[in-house]
Amino acid sequence: MPAEELLGFTDTMEARSAAEAAPAPGPELHLLTFALDREEFGIPVTQVREVIRVADITRVPQAPAHVRGVANLRGRILAVVELRSRLGLAPAELTPRSRVVVVEVRGRVLGLLVDAVSQVTKVPQASVVPAPEEVVSGDAGYVTGVARWQSRLIILLDLEKALLPTE
Amino acid sequence: MSRDENPFGELLQDYVLECLPLAEQIADAFVELERQWRDGDPADDLLASLAGRLHTVKGNSAMMGLAPAQEVAHALEDACGLLRRSPERRTDASASLLVAGGELLADLVRNAAPDLDPVPAASFVERVRRWMEAEVSLLPGTLPERRRADRRTGSDAAGSGKVDSVVRVDFRRLDAMLEVLGEGLIQHSALAEAYRGLVRQTGGCDELERLDQAVLALEKTLKRLESTLMDTRLLPISTVFGRFPRMVRDTAEGAGKRVRLVHSGGETPLDKAVLDRLSEPLLHLVSNAIVHGIESPDARRASGKPEEGTLRLDAAPMAGRVVIRLGDDGRGLDELAIRKKAEGLGHEVRSEDAIPLRSLIFLPGLSTADTVSALAGRGVGLDVVAGAIHALGGTIDVATERGKGTTFTLSLPVTLAIVRSLIVEIDHERFAVPLAHVAETVRVEPETIREINHRGVTQWRGDLIHVADGGAMLGTAADRIEPRRFYVVMAAGGRRRGLLVDRLVGHQDVVVKGLDPTLGRPDVVSGTTILGDGRVACIVDAVRILEGGRRAG
Repeated sequence: MPAEELLGFTDTMEARSAAEAAPAPGPELHLLTFALDREEFGIPVTQVREVIRVADITRVPQAPAHVRGVANLRGRILAVVELRSRLGLAPAELTPRSRVVVVEVRGRVLGLLVDAVSQVTKVPQASVVPAPEEVVSGDAGYVTGVARWQSRLIILLDLEKALLPTE
Repeated sequence: MSRDENPFGELLQDYVLECLPLAEQIADAFVELERQWRDGDPADDLLASLAGRLHTVKGNSAMMGLAPAQEVAHALEDACGLLRRSPERRTDASASLLVAGGELLADLVRNAAPDLDPVPAASFVERVRRWMEAEVSLLPGTLPERRRADRRTGSDAAGSGKVDSVVRVDFRRLDAMLEVLGEGLIQHSALAEAYRGLVRQTGGCDELERLDQAVLALEKTLKRLESTLMDTRLLPISTVFGRFPRMVRDTAEGAGKRVRLVHSGGETPLDKAVLDRLSEPLLHLVSNAIVHGIESPDARRASGKPEEGTLRLDAAPMAGRVVIRLGDDGRGLDELAIRKKAEGLGHEVRSEDAIPLRSLIFLPGLSTADTVSALAGRGVGLDVVAGAIHALGGTIDVATERGKGTTFTLSLPVTLAIVRSLIVEIDHERFAVPLAHVAETVRVEPETIREINHRGVTQWRGDLIHVADGGAMLGTAADRIEPRRFYVVMAAGGRRRGLLVDRLVGHQDVVVKGLDPTLGRPDVVSGTTILGDGRVACIVDAVRILEGGRRAG
């Protein structure tokens, strides 16, 4: 991407965020990032309740293909979504690095099965650009943008769109 | 197959461990009853205390497929029920029948084996049946009046002197408490499982015995907590019955009938969630009885009956469940017409003996408008009523006699929150099957399951029933060579069906958890629960599987 274009974009971003939240110069996004296939994805930490190791996941008969099953989260039943399938990637085998990210989306608690969890990353809002079309396969309505930050490329997910089917 | 590898053998040991003490207590209690009755003591409490134990022995025997013990326990249950209602029947003859039954039951449990001689049990059951018939015909209809009187004195006593000890609690709080209790129950199961593992590995020692005592004591405490908590969720069934007298009067008037409603047992408690879903089907049955069961005053006079028909509605607690009976003294069901109609609808009605009337009248399709007039009996939406009752984990049955009347018997769980279940294993996945819908578990013998039209079929208690593979039904990972070793006969209403499984793991009171909407709407499982080892298992929706019997293989 040409430098002028990027600069121009950051300008508009800053202008927009300045208009929305006045006393916040250079706002940052707090993201939990995780790996799926060879991509790095990020979701706002505010939506994350905890990250757990993969315990037994019980398959549920006739559940949709992208649902891995249910797990026991300290006595509560947690539905675990196979995020890979949901995003149109091939499902993966469980490895010792596999994790379930427990998220709360619009009051509902769900687990997301991911290949590995990296860390909580602070990314300047200004580094976010709209997603280029080739980044994700499948329908990308749930990709809100891409953060380019310190040679990383983090795909930002809109969990509401990714997890709650529009009925 | 060595005994260790044989899951049935392991279960059988657990069964004897659990049931033999109960059976012996029952046998002792019968002897004690005989003594007290001779002394003129009605021994109400002792008699009442037996219901739970008999029910447990019956249920566990049924689950193990030990039909003789199950049938004897059942017969004793019936006999005790009759004796509880009518002190005047507590005679020497009755007592000696019970004593004989108690001894037989203890014997059957002590020597539990799948190939036990069924003759002594069968002859005892027959003895009880004849005794009950004789007893019932001796003393018709004395029951409701006396019960009403009992209740009145009871409520007077309760009404005096307690006013300000009542606290209003949000129902959701009770749900939250139940959730915590559920965790406790799960942790107890884990403890008990670990204990059994230790016993198997070490062969037992003094410390283990103490651990066993502690685990048992914990279970009792949790059960007490459970029943206390359950009690706080319960409302008297009169909250539903209360709507009936006026409704009966109005419906009878509209249909040109004269009907008297007699009801009893309104104080019987039921979980609010069950009550909410019970009133609709019950109203349906009542209006059915008035419109189609009870004859017009003229017709009744002509057949020598009083012009006013009687509708009896009776509720009573029965070992963790509630039994509701709705009886009329109307014309009864026209069995021949119902069979003809069912045949016309394409249902398999080959032999009159093979399919009992009660499975026919709950079939869908017998509820069309022309059925009503053609049958001159019942049939209106009974499939809908049965569906609603089954969805509650209940059962519905009917008894009828031409010209004498029809009685529907509903058995309902007191609560929907905790369900006693059989845990089965299919391709290393575990599932819970509510015991209310388990008629029997059967070991698969070679050559007993045949294939007809690509569906498994077997003989079960003289009937042909379909047997489906649990793995195919529940979508477990397939690549297996070994045949399944057991099938579970699921039953609701008149429908029966076998489900092939690999292993019978045991039984457990499971705390029912809902299905997250993310999981879609599966029609073979109704919910989830957490097992003793902490793993999640799906609860098999026996009712919907039975209802879908015609399409699903």
